[in-house]
Amino acid sequence: MATSALRLENVDAFYGDSHVLQNVSFELGEARMLGLLGRNGAGKSTCMNVGMGLLSARRGEVSVFGEPVTKLSPEMIAARGVALVPQGRRIFRSLTVRENLIVAARKPDAGSKHAPWTIDTVFAMFPRLKERSNQMAAHLSGGEQQMLAIGRALMGNPRVLLMDEPSEGLAPQIVAEVMTTIRKLKESGLSIVLVEQNPNLVFDVADDIVILNTGGVAVVSTPAALRQDDALLRQHLGVF
Amino acid sequence: MNFWIVLTVNSITFGGLLFLLASGFSLIFGLMRIPNLTHGSLFMLGAYVGGSIVIGLFGFKLNFWLAAVLASLTVAALGALIERFLLRQLPGDQLAQVLVTLGISFMAADFCLMVWGGDPMSVATPEGLGGFARAGGAVFPLYRLAIIAIAVVVAVALWLLLDRTRLGAMIRAGVDDPDMARVVGIRVSQLFTIVFALGAGLAAFAGIIGGPILSVYPGLDQDMLPLALLVVIIGGAGSLLGSFVGSILVGFIYNFGQALLPELAYFVLFLPMLLVLLLRPQGLFGRHVP
Repeated sequence: MATSALRLENVDAFYGDSHVLQNVSFELGEARMLGLLGRNGAGKSTCMNVGMGLLSARRGEVSVFGEPVTKLSPEMIAARGVALVPQGRRIFRSLTVRENLIVAARKPDAGSKHAPWTIDTVFAMFPRLKERSNQMAAHLSGGEQQMLAIGRALMGNPRVLLMDEPSEGLAPQIVAEVMTTIRKLKESGLSIVLVEQNPNLVFDVADDIVILNTGGVAVVSTPAALRQDDALLRQHLGVF
Repeated sequence: MNFWIVLTVNSITFGGLLFLLASGFSLIFGLMRIPNLTHGSLFMLGAYVGGSIVIGLFGFKLNFWLAAVLASLTVAALGALIERFLLRQLPGDQLAQVLVTLGISFMAADFCLMVWGGDPMSVATPEGLGGFARAGGAVFPLYRLAIIAIAVVVAVALWLLLDRTRLGAMIRAGVDDPDMARVVGIRVSQLFTIVFALGAGLAAFAGIIGGPILSVYPGLDQDMLPLALLVVIIGGAGSLLGSFVGSILVGFIYNFGQALLPELAYFVLFLPMLLVLLLRPQGLFGRHVP
């Protein structure tokens, strides 16, 4: 694997007294996509929250391109090039579409290999957002809100993109659109962690797979290997 | 007829003054969920500091407007310190915030009594605004009309700041979802300090601007704080339009209540608050906060 874009090493995390992540370790390679799978409550979103600094790891280390970020605040981690597309979208409902994008704007890092994301390039990727640029975000459909959440994350010109169940609650046609977008982002060289409940969506796009089970890493593998192992998928995901 | 016209102008003037006071209070509560009970004290401190500069109590004299700016900046800095070093330590704990801000307001009242004594301080009307304007048979003090104009200018400036700038959008994003605002890189803690300082500065500005019509006296803080609370409850926390409409409403109810039903002035004043709390707890223009 090339340089590690994001690494969680022996991470333990708690919600109050509840020990939700136990000794979790995995890494996302640069310009690769890691699919993070698991049943409800397995700890997938908690991993995203730890990676983004919304929840502090009580033990272990989180690093971004080799730089420790374990104790940093979300805004400091964002400044290091990590962006989150959160579960449930969590767009700023009382802001317009355009405002949602401009508040998240951050200049790309010096020496960045990627073309910078601007409001124009985000609108080019999501023309429907351009049409609704002056509408309140609360009035968008679920699919449009998801596009806005992705666009908002891209406005931070991230090096690492964390996507927490981007297909949740969307119609199949919209899910297909969102997955096309994710594929484009991967092809652009972005390092991505994709959290999903549905393994088939992830197998189509991810390079590597980590399956969590009850707060710990159960499987580290690849889509090709896992497609051949129905028993393993049944054991950890209850599917196939 | 003149009586009604003058009473109306006085109500709008007082509403304008209340807007300067309550808009900051509303913003602080809307963004930071901090019920800042020092807000009346910040108003009074602004009046005392500004008034002292106007009459040369600190060994130097400035004209009214420069004194108002200096007093506002001083109190804004004090507000920033209160937020950074006290309220920052109590995130999300509204009971503790109420007790701390109430405690600071008592300390501020004692401090003012010690420094300025118990006698009211008169603040002269700024130069050029001591006269009257006549319209029909009615006579209006120019200064009261100036307060209305200042309130409108401040309201427009705040609206432009909040609705037309990136900083304003960031503030509103922080109100919407503070955690997500941090995730997209917004330094919410810095925004909190800026908003608290802005609110404190506006309260102080209202204090000195109100000096020539209210004068400055011990207890001014306790007279003004309930009115600011009233505006925010009626208008809705965090809503600039709510603050504006609430201020004008309270201005009218306060003045007309005192003129027409002096025995029931406070009953008339607080009845709308009771109704709003019962029927629309988030206020006329506020958003429901779960």
